[in-house]
Amino acid sequence: MSNWTEMSAVQPVVSKMLINSLKRDRISHAYIFQGARGTGKAELSRLYAKSIFCKNRTGAEPCNDCKDCRRIDSGNHPDLHWIIPDGASIKNEQILKLQKEFSYTGMESERKVYVMENADKMTANASNRLLKFLEEPGAYTTAILLTENSQALLQTIQSRCQILALQPLQEGQFAELLNSEGISQSSARLLSQLTNNYEEAMEISGQEWFAKARKLVVQLVEVLETRPNEALLFVHSQWMPVMKDREMQQLALHLLLLWFKDIIYLYADRPDSVIYIQEKDRLENSLRHWTRQRATDCLQSIMEAKRQLDQNVHPALVMEKLTLQMQR
Amino acid sequence: MKFVIQRDRLLASIQDVMKAISSRTAIPILTGMKIEAKEDGITLTGSDSDISIESFIPKEEDGIVYVEQIEPGSIVLQAKYFPEIVRKVPMNAVEIESDGQLNVTIRSGSAEFKLNGQDADEYPQLPKLHSEDSFELPADLFKNVIKETVFAVSTQETRPLLTGVNVRVQDDQLHFVATDSHRLASRQIPISAAFDFQNVVIPGKSLTELNKILDENQDPVEIRITNNQILFRTKHLYFLSRLLEGNYPDTSRLIPNESKTVLQIDTKELLRSIDRASLLAKENRNNVVKLVTQESGKLEISSNSPEVGRVVEEMSVEEISGEELRISFSAKYMMDALKVIESEQVKIEFTGAMRPFLIRPTDDEDLLQLITPVRTY
Repeated sequence: MSNWTEMSAVQPVVSKMLINSLKRDRISHAYIFQGARGTGKAELSRLYAKSIFCKNRTGAEPCNDCKDCRRIDSGNHPDLHWIIPDGASIKNEQILKLQKEFSYTGMESERKVYVMENADKMTANASNRLLKFLEEPGAYTTAILLTENSQALLQTIQSRCQILALQPLQEGQFAELLNSEGISQSSARLLSQLTNNYEEAMEISGQEWFAKARKLVVQLVEVLETRPNEALLFVHSQWMPVMKDREMQQLALHLLLLWFKDIIYLYADRPDSVIYIQEKDRLENSLRHWTRQRATDCLQSIMEAKRQLDQNVHPALVMEKLTLQMQR
Repeated sequence: MKFVIQRDRLLASIQDVMKAISSRTAIPILTGMKIEAKEDGITLTGSDSDISIESFIPKEEDGIVYVEQIEPGSIVLQAKYFPEIVRKVPMNAVEIESDGQLNVTIRSGSAEFKLNGQDADEYPQLPKLHSEDSFELPADLFKNVIKETVFAVSTQETRPLLTGVNVRVQDDQLHFVATDSHRLASRQIPISAAFDFQNVVIPGKSLTELNKILDENQDPVEIRITNNQILFRTKHLYFLSRLLEGNYPDTSRLIPNESKTVLQIDTKELLRSIDRASLLAKENRNNVVKLVTQESGKLEISSNSPEVGRVVEEMSVEEISGEELRISFSAKYMMDALKVIESEQVKIEFTGAMRPFLIRPTDDEDLLQLITPVRTY
């Protein structure tokens, strides 16, 4: 999405607000763009940065052809600073560097923009340092913090930023797009739940472990239903060897989450929303094993497990705890 | 783009430009070196976004032809490989050519390198400094000014502005001031041209780099200032630095204009004596040394670390007047200040044990060092 017309089609409200801020020259010193994965936070901030830096802007539209626009696309613009988590979190030193950067005058223009992806991943130290610097912004500095959950940011940071919430994507739309690209309908439905990014979806669907993970999820549920005593063994001998890193663990847990979500859908009498459509029989079968209350409990346990993975708890421990909770 | 260039001249320029290039930069293009060919010569540019260095190689100078067969154009080459290649090519003439697809060919004798370049449009544009506001200083004087002030800048990033040297014009004098809030170094130089610019803060690190690049000679350095960058220009070298943003604190009020005790003393002797006393001063306790005036008209310099031991030294002074005094201060700050003073004698003016004191060379009113004392019991 390289212009506001396209952006308005996906995110009408936020686009309108930003376009107006550009037209009236009332750009705020700090924004939080909040929205689920794939809602276009990064693209939106890139577009906004272009509009700020582009010298041939017509209305709010950047030209996409001048040096500034081209360098923003290639990541070479000297006055646009893009911060991504270094490993699992945004570290104090990264903010320190940013702070130093902003005590200097701009390289080319007097304007400076910084974009921070996954701003909620800032360490406590980093947040406090950033806060200090949000409090005394330079005259021509704009901060854009991207996050999936603005509540995860410090209250004091939230209160200093203009919070713009991006709309969630239309459900089903993305799945249809994937389907039209030759991905089977069942996979497309699953993938659209895992990501909203087209390239990422294509990449995941091509990986061998994705197929394995799907199978493992179904197997795990089956083991839990029929031979609960073997569940721990199953996790150790089958599950863990396949899920090699945290990212895979997260996605696999998400797949498991979707299974229980499906059970709830069936209880709620909304069979159209079911995601594992090719496993309908098994799901029906599952209904006999999981009461509505138990399924909700499981959902909660899985969410908890996902959070713990994020907090660097050892994956094996997380999985063991989860299986024990689900066995009950 | 195409040209044939003398290797040695090119290498010299590359070495200057490389000083600005760092492998750890936020912007990928800055790991490269920009090469621009124009009808009148070749310009090399390197930058780490804080400082940028441009070196110009004229087509011909003093009858020596450096560059031939110029076809204008520009390209960015990886700074990791390009200098090494130029250093090791077999012949003195090096041909550099780029096609429209950013492929660069470097030929010398029988060797041929093909490098992938990057688009020069991606490179940051350095400000075009056409402003009339410029002034000139001889390189050696300027180097001296840097040496006399830059050591006093703060090394902590908590107050970023203090990591720079403040430059301003007042009463036909150019003032350079650096302080880390515990000490201050100030230097004035008269400027002839009526010249007016806003007060700027130049990062200390940039000045240190500049000091390394400037030659010790009388050649003029031209200084120009724009809103966000400052340019230092010698004959073929452009040195650009970003400035620090903010209002520099007013330091003139810090400097006491009266004094209660005045000493005149031999610079070198005092420096050596402080140095000796500091041997037993603890680094984690600010390197404190104590200075006491004695009735005999001598000075006692001492330092005491209960765990280590004690040193006392008596020193004769050239001249002493005013009240008796007992004062403690950081030996490091004192030595830093004395090291940059070249005159044989210094005058030290105290206004009590709790007030900052001034150190000036006796033969030069324009240099001033201020140190705040340390409270001891």
